[in-house]
Amino acid sequence: MGKKRITIDPITRLEGHGKIEIFLDDNGDVDNAYFQVPELRGFEKFCEGRPAEEMPRITPKICGVCPTAHHMASTKTLDDLYKVEPTSPARKIRELMYNSFMFEDHILHFFFLGAPEFVVGLDAPPAERNILGVIGKVGLEIGKKVIEARKRTRNLITMIGGRVIHPVCGLPGGVSKPLTEENREEAKAAADYVLEFAKFALKLFDDIVLKNNEYVDIIAGDIYKHSTYYMGLVDENNKVNFYDGDIRVVDPEGVEFVKFKAQDYMNHISEHVEPWSYITFPYLKNIGWKGFVDGKDSGVYRVAPLARLNVSDGMATPLAQEHYEKMYSVLGGKPLHNTLAFHWARLIEALYAAERVVELANDPELTDPNVRNLPTEVPTEGIGVVEAPRGTLFHHYKTDERGVITEANLIVATVNNAAAICMSVEKAARGLIKRGNVSEKLLNMVEMAFRAYDPCLACATHSLPGQMPLEVNIHNSGGEVIKTLRR
Amino acid sequence: MKTLVFGLGNPILSDDGVGMRIAQKLRNRLHSVDVKEGAIAGLSILDEIQGYDRLIIIDSIKSEKGRPGQFYKLKLEELNTTTHLTSTHGMGLATTIELGKQMGYKLPGDIEIYAIEIENNTVFSEDCTARVKESIPGIVDKIIAESFRDFQKQEERK
Repeated sequence: MGKKRITIDPITRLEGHGKIEIFLDDNGDVDNAYFQVPELRGFEKFCEGRPAEEMPRITPKICGVCPTAHHMASTKTLDDLYKVEPTSPARKIRELMYNSFMFEDHILHFFFLGAPEFVVGLDAPPAERNILGVIGKVGLEIGKKVIEARKRTRNLITMIGGRVIHPVCGLPGGVSKPLTEENREEAKAAADYVLEFAKFALKLFDDIVLKNNEYVDIIAGDIYKHSTYYMGLVDENNKVNFYDGDIRVVDPEGVEFVKFKAQDYMNHISEHVEPWSYITFPYLKNIGWKGFVDGKDSGVYRVAPLARLNVSDGMATPLAQEHYEKMYSVLGGKPLHNTLAFHWARLIEALYAAERVVELANDPELTDPNVRNLPTEVPTEGIGVVEAPRGTLFHHYKTDERGVITEANLIVATVNNAAAICMSVEKAARGLIKRGNVSEKLLNMVEMAFRAYDPCLACATHSLPGQMPLEVNIHNSGGEVIKTLRR
Repeated sequence: MKTLVFGLGNPILSDDGVGMRIAQKLRNRLHSVDVKEGAIAGLSILDEIQGYDRLIIIDSIKSEKGRPGQFYKLKLEELNTTTHLTSTHGMGLATTIELGKQMGYKLPGDIEIYAIEIENNTVFSEDCTARVKESIPGIVDKIIAESFRDFQKQEERK
């Protein structure tokens, strides 16, 4: 050790990890563009034979970035499996944790991926389009604020969930413990900070993006504009809700197409399989799969921030509602099909989450010891849903009469957007590859689409170096790779 | 010097969890050193490592010509660093630490990385593959010999 020099060439990703393959026709124009993600195998088998109540602890390990979403979806699936509703205090505790998580994830995304596009500038060299570029432009204070906001929300999640990384609080019919009065005081203080930070982030967006007509034009423009269906959870008033509600789908004109309970998802969503991809492409069963195309006749739908705002009639909190109205008025009506508007929608959702955290932290019910309804039914099957930061997340378990898992199926959030991501990549490729000439801008364009959707790609693995490079392979009509672009 | 041993990986994804398994074994031997394990990625790592002077990371690696069970001691600089990100899920270890430093986190100045060659990290399983599993006790001994000589001497005296 230490004496011999070893050269290591780490495989920076799994086979097919986030790789983009573009195929040209005989004229050198784009024939097809594919976006691939790796396959992690054997999850269902891994779950089989385990007690269902272990699932909220197992499923968060699928993703090191969004464990709280899996924990919550899984806990709600157990509620459904054992046919038991959480008590009112338990539901509020879950919602407090979940909204804290959504806030943190959204804010992080904005400062690391959204802000670099706009704050640093779309024409800035890639080396500057990062959080450090943002700090350079807006000041070091911003880095400190991001750190503090994260710290406070993570403390909240730890307080409720037991652990921040892989929470353990969710039980069928409730949660493991109520908050203490001291906890609640801490939650209130954190909530105030979080709300101020969310307002600050939107102000920053306003000053830097909205006051710059060029940026507004880019967001409102044709880049990755896809006229699709949208899906998201809404409450009883058709307002955005991350934790619970009915799943509402609107058509490309914004008209409600269907509203259904999570338990009926199989009647509304089918999964299309392509020979070149490990992942399946969910689509609206009652419209049908017509390929990777826009429009009312295509079953392709989108999820995540902009989709959630598009399917709803508004936000359930006052400040978020103001910004909601502003976004649709500035960008030209509802629904919005502009993929870059995901960034704005994400900040509006962060503000909504912050307002909900304030509302919940001030609720005296959080310290009520009545945090669990004990299940009495014999389990057979359960389906649960939440809105994860990256879209609608379904968990579905079947068990024997002892509650031991016999089947498990998940539709993870990113997968719902898989078809749309392929469409955005193809759109960029068609615009920037003509007669075999590949514009160097291609990588930038592809990257912007990626950043807007922020796909979660096999994040279950952490092997070194952990970085996921973006790689685009361009094939000629004979299938040979003629060019590789990498960042 | 406040030292942290941090085993990274996913305990339900075959060999991906090897870093955590080694950390668990080190905990039993290194009584006065903080040992953590985490199935985490991205910025969450920063929360765990701040406030320490010395950090020893144990993680898996897959390289072109690697033999499962082989391991390397690396410096942070040897991992490819780029602060350019395409997704929040694609943030590498070196990048994360670099970003953390620049954002003002108090992070360890002395970082050693043990990277263990693995065979499989695409199948869900709580077990490592045979060759990786067999290599664990030997790697634990070597990490102690290499990075914790004082502890080794104490153990020998006992």
